[in-house]
Amino acid sequence: MRLTRARLRRAFRRETFGVDVAAALDLVGRVLTVLGLAYVVPAAVALGHDESPWPFVTAGLATSGFGILVERLSGEQMRIRPREGFLVVALIWLLVPVFGALPYVLSGEAQLASPVDAYFESVSGFTATGATILTDIEALPRGLLMWRQFTQWLGGMGIVILAIAILPRLRVGGRQLLMSELPGPTEVERLSLTIRETARRLWLLYLGLTVALAGLLTLYGAVGLDDAVGVYEAVGHAFTSVAIGGFSTEAESAAAFAPLTQWTMAFFIAVAGINFLRLYRLLVVRQPRAFARDEELRLYVLLLAGGSLVLFLEILGDGRFAGEEAIRHAVFQAISIMTTAGFASADYVQWGPLAAVTLVGLMFFGASAGSTSGSIKVVRHLLISRLLRRELDQTVHPEIVMPVRLNRLPVDEKVIRAVLAFVLLYVGLFAAGALALVVESFRVATEVTPFEAISAAAATLGNVGPAFGFAGPFGSYEPFSPLSKVVMILLMWLGRVEILPVVVLFTRSYWRA
Amino acid sequence: MKIVVIGAGQVGSTVVEALHDEHELTVIDLDGSRLGPLSYRHDVSTIEGNGATRSVLLEAGIKEADLLIACSSRDEPNLIAAMLAKKLNPDVRAVVRATEVEYLEAWHERQLDVDLVVSSEIETAYAVSRTLGVPAARQTDVFAEGQVQIVEFDVEQTAGDHAVIGRPLREARIPADSKVASIIRGDSAVVPRGDQSIQPGDRVIVIGSPRAAQEWSSIIAGDRPRLDDVVVYGAGRIGVAVAEHLLRQGIRVRMIESDRDRARLVAEKLPDARVFNATGIDPDFLERERIGQSRAAIFAMRDDAKNHYAATLARIHGVGFTIAIVHEPISIEVFEQAGVDVAVNPRQLTAEELVRFAHDPRTQQVAMLEGDRYEVLDVTVRPESRLVNTRFRDLPMTGSLIGAIVREGKAIFPHGEDVLLPGDRVIVFTEARRAAEVEQAL
Repeated sequence: MRLTRARLRRAFRRETFGVDVAAALDLVGRVLTVLGLAYVVPAAVALGHDESPWPFVTAGLATSGFGILVERLSGEQMRIRPREGFLVVALIWLLVPVFGALPYVLSGEAQLASPVDAYFESVSGFTATGATILTDIEALPRGLLMWRQFTQWLGGMGIVILAIAILPRLRVGGRQLLMSELPGPTEVERLSLTIRETARRLWLLYLGLTVALAGLLTLYGAVGLDDAVGVYEAVGHAFTSVAIGGFSTEAESAAAFAPLTQWTMAFFIAVAGINFLRLYRLLVVRQPRAFARDEELRLYVLLLAGGSLVLFLEILGDGRFAGEEAIRHAVFQAISIMTTAGFASADYVQWGPLAAVTLVGLMFFGASAGSTSGSIKVVRHLLISRLLRRELDQTVHPEIVMPVRLNRLPVDEKVIRAVLAFVLLYVGLFAAGALALVVESFRVATEVTPFEAISAAAATLGNVGPAFGFAGPFGSYEPFSPLSKVVMILLMWLGRVEILPVVVLFTRSYWRA
Repeated sequence: MKIVVIGAGQVGSTVVEALHDEHELTVIDLDGSRLGPLSYRHDVSTIEGNGATRSVLLEAGIKEADLLIACSSRDEPNLIAAMLAKKLNPDVRAVVRATEVEYLEAWHERQLDVDLVVSSEIETAYAVSRTLGVPAARQTDVFAEGQVQIVEFDVEQTAGDHAVIGRPLREARIPADSKVASIIRGDSAVVPRGDQSIQPGDRVIVIGSPRAAQEWSSIIAGDRPRLDDVVVYGAGRIGVAVAEHLLRQGIRVRMIESDRDRARLVAEKLPDARVFNATGIDPDFLERERIGQSRAAIFAMRDDAKNHYAATLARIHGVGFTIAIVHEPISIEVFEQAGVDVAVNPRQLTAEELVRFAHDPRTQQVAMLEGDRYEVLDVTVRPESRLVNTRFRDLPMTGSLIGAIVREGKAIFPHGEDVLLPGDRVIVFTEARRAAEVEQAL
């Protein structure tokens, strides 16, 4: 008996343990401590609308308090190595939404009374997914609605990245942390900057885009171009557009706004789908030609154009819309779904089967690496297609040596393998998720068609948001059973941290010294 | 002339052999065993030591020397020796053997204070492409983001082109968007007026668009059938330099390299070449890849014997033209016996180029071309210049030439009726001593 206890103690000593859990927890604590400040925003909005700020104040104090507690308990600050990075990212994306859900529960709002529902909404917020369990969005208090929007903005560019950018003397070792959170295989990018400088640039540009869109939309409202837009709507939608989130303060999503507003939103979403590091370089170095030569950008634009065209033909063919309206809905929906934003300018659930299949297909593309979008990302598709071409070449010429290239630069085989692993895991998870939803719907006897299950799995894993059927853009995920919601929470979480950091935690070699 | 030679290897010995009759030579080498035979054979003084140190250079009498030839097999000691020599004796001229292309480029851009840098890789590549009948430009300078090129060509002795070569320039069908900036014949430069003509054996300097430069290349090449598919065996430094040169001429290049990592490295470096990881002597491979159908093969593997075997095999498979890179002087005869069409010795080429600099005032000028005698100016025309609004045909004839104008970001190759506007960026080819004058006039 005594022997076992001693053995246990030894097992948990840091030297025999490959991961410094205390150091990881310390960083998580610090992030939570700072996150508590974020509740100032919805509290102020609540005050401005004569609503109670207490749910936010309480939640903020709880978040910071918990953060400080964890920091204290984890002892002195220790160095985060690449290995701890995975744990930090995985933990943060699980824990932050827990605290983000507090205002939903504390507000006493009936739609969000169930903890699973509140957590679902919060995860969907922070992961910038945009799937909602609300059935009557506009019934929510304004402060709470703005918190929903704001969580997407906080999560869009990444909480850890924000922490790196603003926290002083955060001893973060290695790029693993930043790379785990920044969407997409950005290893192909040759980063010569320090991690902090990279984080600052990302957030600076992110902030800039948000301010620009909010300003523009406010202006539309002020000069009467769009009567549906006030400062509140402008800011709220700027948050979720640039974050490629998809939450709206309106029940009808973007359909509530004038065509001009929709075009503007679509444009900003498309821009936010470009690699931010490249975008930043464009703004600083001003070499549009080099920027436009980027192969990922080209394929991204091509895919958006192709998707728009197919949707346009489909809409036109079924005679639902014509002229500018047909073009607008096609382009808006292609951008919104492919970049994984998930806004709707029209109820695409009503469109024909070709459009439905096209839209679900687009969910698997995502936008560029290093953007705020979810899903697989264009560059991974590009690399895999190059890999396939090489395989074909090598069957004819077995001795040929052909590095896979991106923008004419050779890509490391390690990156290729990681991309391959990611896509396999992604597809596997999608299939498993869809299956789980179908099985669960049989168990609790809810009406879920296979297509609805497939689209819901794709939409949550890809951080898109709305799916088809009752979970469509004007619908809600509310009818799903609690267990289905848990499945989708996991999918959103895995999708946001890009699977590998989580999967790695479940391997034995990760925990070994 | 008093000459200090650093390095007594194959290149150094060849240099000594060529120069010992007429000049006073001091040879420095780290390896005394190489100096002995040399001093028995020729009347030269020898010093065993590191030529890249001050003490050894002073001992070799660098202060009284006229020329330093640094041709050891290692780049950096060569460069350090040359720079030290220049500091110790500002009048000494220094020629350096370097294998790294980077150094050659740095020298071209005048960031290395030496008089000539010779790279065996580049010399070999040039020799190979010359034997293949695709004369690569000796040197290309790029201006205005690549829209304007200044290119130096050697006109083949065999070039018998009809429309350009041998005709007065005013009648010659010169490619559009290009101008002849200078013709070097023998030891003098000819101002390319309308009544002058380009002759075989000349070296010409042309300013023009990238496309015109390509056209020039095919004019200079003469009537030989154009190659389109070449196989290079061995992806060492020489193999890569040759492949790069040929690729730049738009020739399809396949490379065969037996070392896996090296093959991968070269495949990464040369996106346009097709690289195979194979020995090149496997008949199945040769058959499968239809190596026999390529027009020419170059054997640039490290081992002469391997090159010999592979070349013979390639000939059996039907390759029409074979070029071997040799490392031992004796191998040249072996290859000739074996029926290889051309054998190229890089060390020999390098030594020749180094010796030419010491020997021949003509090459001296050519080498100086970018360095001293001519300059290419890239200037913006001031509004108050007296040449503004002048037609090109009315510009004074001074021997300087406006090769191109960059107006609103686009390159224009001016004709007689075009007019110079304020704010134009002009690319001027001028004699160095007139450079200040030209700058003032604009």
